[in-house]
Amino acid sequence: MTTTINSNGNQLIASFIGRLDTAAAISTAEAVKPLMEAQEKEIILDCSQLEYISSSGLRIFLSIRKEAAQHNSKVIVKDINADIRQVFMMTGFLSLFDIQ
Amino acid sequence: MVRRFWILVLAAVVLESIACVQYIYSYYAIKHEACERAKCELRAAELEIDLVMCEQEHALQMAVALIERYIDEPDSLAAMSRIMLQSMPNTSNLGLAFVSGYYNKKQHWFEIYTHRDTVDGKPTIITREIGGPNHDYFKDEWYQNAFLHDSCWWSEPYYDNSGARSMVVTCSHPIRNKKGEIVGTAGIDVSLAYLASMDNLQVFQDSYYSIQSSNGLDIVALPDTTGGRKYLVFNEEIDATGWHIAIVIPEDVLFADLRKTGLVVLILMLIGLGLVAFILYRSAKNVQSIVSMTAKEERMLGELEIAREIQNAMLPKVFPPFLDHTDLNIFGFVRPAKEIGGDLYDFYIRHDKLFFCVGDVSGKGIPASLIMSMTRSLFRSVTAHEERAEQIVSLMNDALSEENELNMFITLFLGVLDTKTGVLEYCNAGHNAPMLMAGGQWQRAEVIPNIPIGIDKGYPFKAQSMTLHPNEELFIYTDGLTEAENINHEQFGEERMLSSLQAMKYSTPRKLVEAMQKSVDTFVAEAPQSDDLTMLAIRYQLPAIVMRNDIQQIPTLAEWIDSLNIPMELNMPVNLALEEAVSNVMLYAYPDGHGFVFVEFAQTPASIIFTITDSGIPFDPTQKPEADISLSAEQREIGGLGIHLVRKLMDEIRYERIDNKNILTLVKHV
Repeated sequence: MTTTINSNGNQLIASFIGRLDTAAAISTAEAVKPLMEAQEKEIILDCSQLEYISSSGLRIFLSIRKEAAQHNSKVIVKDINADIRQVFMMTGFLSLFDIQ
Repeated sequence: MVRRFWILVLAAVVLESIACVQYIYSYYAIKHEACERAKCELRAAELEIDLVMCEQEHALQMAVALIERYIDEPDSLAAMSRIMLQSMPNTSNLGLAFVSGYYNKKQHWFEIYTHRDTVDGKPTIITREIGGPNHDYFKDEWYQNAFLHDSCWWSEPYYDNSGARSMVVTCSHPIRNKKGEIVGTAGIDVSLAYLASMDNLQVFQDSYYSIQSSNGLDIVALPDTTGGRKYLVFNEEIDATGWHIAIVIPEDVLFADLRKTGLVVLILMLIGLGLVAFILYRSAKNVQSIVSMTAKEERMLGELEIAREIQNAMLPKVFPPFLDHTDLNIFGFVRPAKEIGGDLYDFYIRHDKLFFCVGDVSGKGIPASLIMSMTRSLFRSVTAHEERAEQIVSLMNDALSEENELNMFITLFLGVLDTKTGVLEYCNAGHNAPMLMAGGQWQRAEVIPNIPIGIDKGYPFKAQSMTLHPNEELFIYTDGLTEAENINHEQFGEERMLSSLQAMKYSTPRKLVEAMQKSVDTFVAEAPQSDDLTMLAIRYQLPAIVMRNDIQQIPTLAEWIDSLNIPMELNMPVNLALEEAVSNVMLYAYPDGHGFVFVEFAQTPASIIFTITDSGIPFDPTQKPEADISLSAEQREIGGLGIHLVRKLMDEIRYERIDNKNILTLVKHV
């Protein structure tokens, strides 16, 4: 699991590659810290290469979402696969995120 | 050597002591016996002499009584004397002597002497008048003593050189007239010749006796040959006569037999000692050979012990053998009847295939064990490049048949189990058909018997195949099990084996084999083990994974789930549900961080089942409240999603707390 963050103008693009399971969640949580402090940015969570997510991954997404709301930022989840979409659905995340 | 000498000395002393005691005892016994016998004979002799004396006395008294009746007719006395002597067969003569001038017509001396004689070869009795100046009987003791004692008187024995020409004694008795006055003396001579031939007094051959008169005259004298020897002397005084009888027994005569016996005993003892010495010498040699045998045997035993260890080391004996193959549970057991045996089992995994075999070499002991090692090596080397059961057995057979001059053969069951599919290919070479537990029932597996290996090179062995399903089990054994005998020579048999198997049908191979071992041992009891005993149980069981209590183990859980070949569409839900459940355990069950999480997989046609077990603190995730997913992001809690996901992804969730373990069962319908 690797996480990269790219800045593109007002956008902060976080790319998740691999499986975001409980084991990977610790390093991922560390890796996404810059997103938590972003003020008035458009935060894009690029999930095109995310294979799998567990609840610990979802918690990271929810944390980002909560922080963003406090810092007037907007979170967009991009390109989730069918499995992840199912997980989002089951957890009510589909209604919490702007999914594109 | 020294010890042997002392044993010999001891034996000699013991034998000598026995001989001495026996000798001394016999000596006194013989002496006592001789003494008793002598006394007895002496008394008998005394009695005999007394009887003779009494008889003579009586005869004399009778004669005197007759004479006194005819005392007034002196001329008739001669004739009467003859008649009287005739009636006294033991008396040799009779003398009647009268006082001087008793008969006036007669002269100063008057004595009638009647005696026995032999005239012309015929015994006759002669009577003479012998009184006169040449025969002045008045001075004779025999004559005088009748007057002095006025009764029967016995003279001392004397040698009569005129008449009897032997030792004689004279008995005299007074003769009275009608007025009662003593007028003469009647006397008889009693020959003592009979005393010299009293056989009874000769108590032993070569013993002697002597009779002496009271004044020391020899009546029967000892022979001259008695000088220079030791004697036992027994004396007796005869009351009537005052004579002394002595029985004289030379010791050399008395103890001749004892000495002879002693000599024989001595010779026998020497022979005995020689024999003892010989036995000692031989036994010492034997002991030496026994000692050297023992040393040899000890070395042999030591070598056997090493051989046993080598043989033992050949067999897999770490159980469970494959930590990365939790789908296989195997337990093997071998117990040779002797230090080393001809039974074998072996197994190992190559490329996810389990190669295993159970074999029984004909015979027991060292030869069988050597063939057993060969067979085991062949098994390993052939299976290293060959996966087909038929081929493996054929190759092993060919190799073993090639140089089998001892004509030893091996019954073998060989199997190749594909752990991924459960397909078991097996070949039975003359071995007992293994037992198979399928559908909750133990039964004999179907086998083509073939023939044992090592007999016929090129024999076309035929293999078979079957599919082992999860929780099915194979029990392979050697005839040491079914043919185990108790003291009544009854065999354990297939029936007892089957019932033992049936009783343990859901237990692990280790428990199964151990129960079987206990069962057969109980049956056999005191009887010695007659044959090598081998058991191998293989259970193709539910896949399982063991993880340390570490979140970083989660990826291995994912890999394991991938390997289960569950339907594709279920892969993600199962993966996620298990991860959530397992990470929940890892986060909460072990507060101190250390522990294990065990996950088992089971499949039924309708569902797939996972069981998660941990031995942490009691923790029931099903009691967690349902997360409210309808809340807005601002309202939502960060946690609580995991168990929510498990509930959503799985069709059933069950929690149990058994044996201090948390057991969470997740079921997904297919």
